Amino acid sequence: MRPTHRIEMDYYQELPVVLSASRLSQPLSEAPNAMTVIDRKMIVASGFRTIPDLFKLVPGMYVGYYKGSQPFVSYHGSPDQYARRMQVMIDGRSVYMPPMSMVDWTALPVTLDDIERIEVIRGPAAASHGANSTQGVISIITRDAGEMDGKRLSVTRGSKGVNDVSAHFGRRGETLDYRMTLAYTADNGYDNLTAPPNNMTMAQGFALLNNSYDDNLSRLLNYRADYHPNAIDRFDVQFGFNRNVKNVGWTDSPANPVHDLFATSGFVQLGWTRVFDNDSELKVNYYHIRHDQHETFLTTLLPQFIAQSVKTDRDEIEVQHTLPFSESNRLVYGAAYRQDRTEGQYSSLAPIAPAYASSLSTAEWRLFAHNEWRVTPRLLLNSGGMLERDGFGNNRLSPRIALNFHAAPQHTLRTGISAAYRTPSLMERNFPVLQPGELFVVNATARSPGFKPERLISREIGYLGEFRDWSTTLDLRLFSDLLENGGFMDTRTTYTNGISAEYRGLEATLKHSFDENSELTVNFARELASSNGAAMAAAGFRALRSACPENSDTVACSIPRNSASALYSQRYSGGMSFSAAWYYQDTMQPFDRGVTDFQPIQRRMDARIAKTFNQGGGFKGDVSLVLQNLFDAKYTDYVANNVFNRRGYVTLTLDW
Amino acid sequence: MSTGRKIARCLLQSLLLLGWLIPLSHAADGMNVLLVLSDSNALYQNFANTYRQNLPAGIQLHMLQRAEDFDGQQADLVVTVGVSAAERVALKTTQPMLAAMIPSHTYADLLAKRPAHKLTSAIFLDQPWGRQVDFLRAVLPERRKIGVLYSADTRLGMAALRSALNDHGLTLTDIALGRNDDLFTRLESVLTASEVLLAVPDSSIYSSSNIRNILLSSYRRGIPLIGFSQSYVRAGALCAIFSTPEQLAEQAGRTTASFSKTRKLPDAHYPASYEIAVNHEVARTLGLTIKPAEALHIQLEKSAGDPR
Repeated sequence: MRPTHRIEMDYYQELPVVLSASRLSQPLSEAPNAMTVIDRKMIVASGFRTIPDLFKLVPGMYVGYYKGSQPFVSYHGSPDQYARRMQVMIDGRSVYMPPMSMVDWTALPVTLDDIERIEVIRGPAAASHGANSTQGVISIITRDAGEMDGKRLSVTRGSKGVNDVSAHFGRRGETLDYRMTLAYTADNGYDNLTAPPNNMTMAQGFALLNNSYDDNLSRLLNYRADYHPNAIDRFDVQFGFNRNVKNVGWTDSPANPVHDLFATSGFVQLGWTRVFDNDSELKVNYYHIRHDQHETFLTTLLPQFIAQSVKTDRDEIEVQHTLPFSESNRLVYGAAYRQDRTEGQYSSLAPIAPAYASSLSTAEWRLFAHNEWRVTPRLLLNSGGMLERDGFGNNRLSPRIALNFHAAPQHTLRTGISAAYRTPSLMERNFPVLQPGELFVVNATARSPGFKPERLISREIGYLGEFRDWSTTLDLRLFSDLLENGGFMDTRTTYTNGISAEYRGLEATLKHSFDENSELTVNFARELASSNGAAMAAAGFRALRSACPENSDTVACSIPRNSASALYSQRYSGGMSFSAAWYYQDTMQPFDRGVTDFQPIQRRMDARIAKTFNQGGGFKGDVSLVLQNLFDAKYTDYVANNVFNRRGYVTLTLDW
Repeated sequence: MSTGRKIARCLLQSLLLLGWLIPLSHAADGMNVLLVLSDSNALYQNFANTYRQNLPAGIQLHMLQRAEDFDGQQADLVVTVGVSAAERVALKTTQPMLAAMIPSHTYADLLAKRPAHKLTSAIFLDQPWGRQVDFLRAVLPERRKIGVLYSADTRLGMAALRSALNDHGLTLTDIALGRNDDLFTRLESVLTASEVLLAVPDSSIYSSSNIRNILLSSYRRGIPLIGFSQSYVRAGALCAIFSTPEQLAEQAGRTTASFSKTRKLPDAHYPASYEIAVNHEVARTLGLTIKPAEALHIQLEKSAGDPR
């Protein structure tokens, strides 16, 4: 004991503010939006090994794959394979990137094991999560730097080339905590389609057969440090890197034959949080993302090589201040500035098109404020908005207001209305004249200069009930989302606004625990849409002609009417555990696909068994077996040759 | 210490003593109280200020800013603030002594070292386990598994806590952290078996550098931490029950006043008044409905009054 140590000081010592406002997650019953939280337990129990698959556990969400190596996630049915209406953030860093305004899920420098939890906001949330959150926001929160003190090695081997290795290590210190991940992950994507889909003849389905070249391989690392020199300041330092190679293209496409697409993605993020005496909190966050992609392939159109690349840089700084006026009123406000630069290079396709390069830069800023006011202990009013000037000079205001009423301590009613805009992507505005391959080397001049931001207005009524005697919670939501100025590809090179659509539906999540060692989560969504798609098609917009036989509204067809998922997990004595998941999705016609890709009913069951062991001496770990599509139900994802047969893998994890 | 300095110090002290005796002679009926602080920092100053305000007229108060300054000075009553002052005074004098702001287990040690002297009493710093258990039950009536992590070399009276908990159908998981044990491995063991983590004043575990990962680990599991000061609650503990230096000083003032009349000291006792703080933000994120601090206080006062 230090000589100056006073025992009574143990009672009165000053402590750092650890669970400050930005650290605390909002309980569902207080959130201004419908929200689904996927926590570590669910991540493990699901048995999934990629992030996008986890969103199958969110009611109403659609997880699609253009190829096994090109996943996308959307809400309100299927969009095209770029899914531009979802904002995705990792620790507050937007990975929704130009020029396509999409997320390159396979090139994110983060493993499932690095994730603490994922919060999915179903509905627009511009006031709290910035621009482009039209359909919703996926917010991935990675593990704290100080969560791990030791080393972990994990190896996964399985069918379909599943081959993952990851090493994690971390240290906790007096003022510095850090952790690091090194990982290698690989798989061979989907299975081969061996018979024509959807009752097609062999000739009709020929191009789809054995067309599944979708291997995917990533090498990645990430590092996170938390430096807390004193009781009031906290510095978050992160960087990460992913080198991804994936198969893209099609055996029957002369302009986009099967080849490798290389992506190199890296980021640096610096955050500073300071807590003041009045418990207000200042947060400054800066990050830089670099995302480079390139591809080289031989086109059989003109027998020659095409080499092209797209390099994107993003810098963003955000300042946010959380100010508690009183126990019952809190204001979060701030500003952000973002700069995106996209450089593309396109090799000569003589004599059709000359080589060209483009370099485009956009800058945008936003101001936001969000007030949380407990009008009475039972009534919570969330109000706020975001004022943004996007990269194309559009000024937009996205307001939100929501009222949560605790009818009884365990029963909450929520109603809200919000608006959000989606900034046109560079790809939509500056679409290239000719675009062989996978990448879009955007034009220097806008081909669709009048393409406007899409607007979404969302209205909802929600109910959250906690039935403690039955260990059950119920989350219900009725919603109506109105899309205006919905964009679509009018000709092969220009984009137009003009879709008006309404999405209405019911979403439900039921959670029940049978006892301390077992949990069940059931999600259900029923959704209907109507749009002016049929009228637009009749007016000559060929792109909106419906591919489904019984409905001329192409938007309505692109939504599975009913979808559901269930996840059950059970822990036994002796470190054994079992979990099973079930997924269901009604038939649908993917939005921009032809009738060939009509998606039949999906049913899938996954199971996981695991055993943890503890050899003593600080040496422990677990071994698990995951079987996906246990009953080998035949189904396809988005594109008809994406066939997912039963597969399995074994994971061994050691901790020391 | 050189002899010269020793003489100088003796002279100084004699002068100081003389200085005290002069006002004493003017208030012959007055009582002479010597307040000995363990240290001169704000914590003890707050105590001293409140104590002074709570003394009845006619009592002569003199104060020593540091425990080392005490060298057997005479007074009718020596009031010590903090452990080092209590230890020094207990060794150096047999005068009547009131040890304030001292943990109950430390006081037991002190008494063992000091030959039984009738005129020794204390106002403890810690809350009695019974009150702590009532508090737990009032805050989280549905959580019955209480976890405690403590260093093997501290003595906090876990057996007494266990029996106080068991009396009300609550259970205790207490794990002692050995010198070579990893804090967070042991913490995980406690958290696995508990629904509530009860923090204890043990600076080798609950230090300002460890508290962040302790709070984050328990928060991650949805387990609230119960602290023992305002600063815990601000840091992220769900709630705390504690007595402020001012409350202890008021109580010491009252005990002094009664001593001035009776020349008797009561038995050593726990703090009579205490405060309750609740972090409602943390409660909300953990999905817990907690009564306001005032309501909890009233409930505790009531249950303390009930016959057991």
